[in-house]
Amino acid sequence: MTRSLPTLLLLALAAPLSAQEAAPAAEPGDQAVEAEAADSPAGEDRSENSAAGIAAEPASEAGAAPVPGARAAQPQREVGADWPFWGGDAAATRYTPLDQITPANVDRLERAFVYHTGDLPEGTAEGTYSPETTPLKVGDDLLLCSAMNVLISVNAATGEENWRFDPGVPNEAIPYGATCRGVALWTDPEAAEGDPCATRVIEATLDAKLVAVDIADGSPCEEFGENGTVDLWQDIGERVPGWYAVTAPPAIVRGVVVTGAQVLDGQAEEAPSGVVRGFDARTGELAWAWDLAAPEQNRSGPPEGEVYTRGTPNMWTTATADEELGQVYLPMGNSAVDYYGSNRSEAENEYATSLVALDATTGEEVWHFQTVRHDVWDYDLGSQATLLDWLGTPAILLPSKQGDLYILDRRTGEPLTPVGELTDLPQGEIEPDYISPSQPYSEWHTLRMEPLEAKDSWGATPLDQLWCRIQFHRANYDGYFTPPSSDEPWIQYPGYNGGSDWGSVAVDTARGIIVANYNDVPNYNRLVPRDEVEGVPIDEQDERGTGPEGAADPQVGAPYGINVNAGWRNPVTGMPCVAPPYGGIRAIDLDTGETLWDRPLGTARRNGPFGIPSYLPIDIGTPNNGGSVVTASGLVFIAAATDNLFRAIDIETGETLWSDVLPAGGQANPIAYEANGRQYVLVTAMGHHFMETLVGDSVIAYALPE
Amino acid sequence: MRDKTPPRPRVHPAVAVLGWICVLLGLLLLAGGLWLIVLGGSWYYALAGIGLCATGLLLTRGNRAAIWVYLVTWLGTLAWAWWEVGSDWWQQVPRLLAPTLILVLVLLCLPALGARRARHPGVPS
Repeated sequence: MTRSLPTLLLLALAAPLSAQEAAPAAEPGDQAVEAEAADSPAGEDRSENSAAGIAAEPASEAGAAPVPGARAAQPQREVGADWPFWGGDAAATRYTPLDQITPANVDRLERAFVYHTGDLPEGTAEGTYSPETTPLKVGDDLLLCSAMNVLISVNAATGEENWRFDPGVPNEAIPYGATCRGVALWTDPEAAEGDPCATRVIEATLDAKLVAVDIADGSPCEEFGENGTVDLWQDIGERVPGWYAVTAPPAIVRGVVVTGAQVLDGQAEEAPSGVVRGFDARTGELAWAWDLAAPEQNRSGPPEGEVYTRGTPNMWTTATADEELGQVYLPMGNSAVDYYGSNRSEAENEYATSLVALDATTGEEVWHFQTVRHDVWDYDLGSQATLLDWLGTPAILLPSKQGDLYILDRRTGEPLTPVGELTDLPQGEIEPDYISPSQPYSEWHTLRMEPLEAKDSWGATPLDQLWCRIQFHRANYDGYFTPPSSDEPWIQYPGYNGGSDWGSVAVDTARGIIVANYNDVPNYNRLVPRDEVEGVPIDEQDERGTGPEGAADPQVGAPYGINVNAGWRNPVTGMPCVAPPYGGIRAIDLDTGETLWDRPLGTARRNGPFGIPSYLPIDIGTPNNGGSVVTASGLVFIAAATDNLFRAIDIETGETLWSDVLPAGGQANPIAYEANGRQYVLVTAMGHHFMETLVGDSVIAYALPE
Repeated sequence: MRDKTPPRPRVHPAVAVLGWICVLLGLLLLAGGLWLIVLGGSWYYALAGIGLCATGLLLTRGNRAAIWVYLVTWLGTLAWAWWEVGSDWWQQVPRLLAPTLILVLVLLCLPALGARRARHPGVPS
């Protein structure tokens, strides 16, 4: 492995780093930063290379006294006792150096506390909840947002609420789902200990506001925007609640808060812009805007009377901050109309479904890497990318919805692992000139399975299997990247849920193992000719409709609407038309890309024909959403599957060593932290409308008996 | 059969019900199977549908040949299923589970069918 150089670097810088870290970041009631250096468990030193490598260099660069006003790198909090970033550490590895809970004692794990946010769907929000919430832990506190963006601080050892701040998000702002994956923290390097908002909790909301509150008491940071709030609708255009919403935690790089937004899919080509913006973390002022169709012109906002370029690819998922290089990595989605591309601009074609690296201090593009050419499959990049030192190179690991894992040089975007080229792909009849005849794929590792065959059609009996088999033969299907069609439906495999989606992957940097959970589900889609489209776009609706994403979406501006049967299910039995497993989890050698083990994820206990739970404890492999945590002691903690289990898996063997039944769906990334010398693992059980799990409001912490 | 002058033999009602269920399922399989053939798919479902229809009709008439016809259908299913997906047990669920359940039910008809032929006094009819 390649750990020696960074480890030396770490050792050399360890003392000055921790000293610097303590000074600017300390505030009342938050001993986290100082505590970190003192009580690092033994296992931590091996693992710190990637996170420390990121933190150490800027610390030396920045020198002892940060230059006021300049965008200098700041030391970053480290994962361990804390879980200071949505992705665990600054590198988003989802790896914890904690090792108190081990494969040997994990079966004794018990609930330490259950906290209820109280945020449950009311009225029109019914059927839209998918909170996907992952708290942060810093000092003594857990910091989280609820589905409707209520910011909450909870004592990490007892589960008692410290404070809450409700930004008052109305139900009408809910886009596809009521989701708040998490929050971010920023400590003002110029603030003195005890200053209000010296450390602030920052979230972006469903009604497209950036909100900053004081970590100490939840009071809004008055110097940030207008009384702690920045309106992200600024320069977006007509305010249509639910069309433009933020569900991901922002990335904060060198004092710049970077956020994109979810733009509700499939409504119209004239949709809100996919612009990604950076705001000053202290004042909330616009630092820069990256409008991919007009990057120079709109860098400081569009000219008077204009808006950011409409309908452009957006970033709905979580970006990764790179404090060391001063860059931010944006996993971009697709244009607003996902399944028809001929009307897209050259700029859209250039950046859609790409990982884009921006200079986070200026908003200028550094590089971009495209994973799908002319995407007409909604293959948005959904996973947060992970920073690594890979075989001696500063790298970034990018998982895609098609299941490809790419490792790129994060300074240049050049692939470090081999990228193959699929050629002679079918062009279809809808827009043969637009469909790309070739596509890239990862030769290093993919989670994708072999293409479907007629005999893969499935059911409980020969009759429903026959029905699926007829559907298979009726559809257009030429394997991976079959282009959209309208005369008959087409099969999209993998479907838009991944591969890897927003839960992303975890990387055990000590063992050199990537842990990736994934979906293995086709979609059955059809382009609906304009005169058959009944739905109207969100800006013309009197009352908001609900339904699965993509179900008969109007795609105004394109000649077709789009109908998606997500998971290709039999409408009578509700059963999928392909056999299990529908999802799995896999361990991959970080150096070679070889699969170490691979297994279905999720039991059949909650699944069965006609929606009747089978209570079977067998690992059928269910669809899953939400990532994992890996611990230094060799455990993988993950919920994600639709069986409502939270489980611990042995990273060496893939065997489930422990599980607990959650009171609702666990479609969220878990975390691990330490409080008062005791290690906790925590997951939120809040359910998911699209994954059809029970909705709840629980935050559940587990620990060994005291 | 109608030209037989003796009154039609009485068929055990359970056997008749199973017979009509087999006919119904067989017709569905046959119809869908023919559609599948038109689409260029497997011939299995239509053939199995014919086998199931024949089994059902024979059962409704109390004819012991139903058992032989269904055994042939089931063995054909077994061979086809193994040829198509081998030891992929998830894929064997739709192929073998229900047909084997029907095999068990058809075999359970044996005493009733045999009784009519042999006219065992003890078997109710």
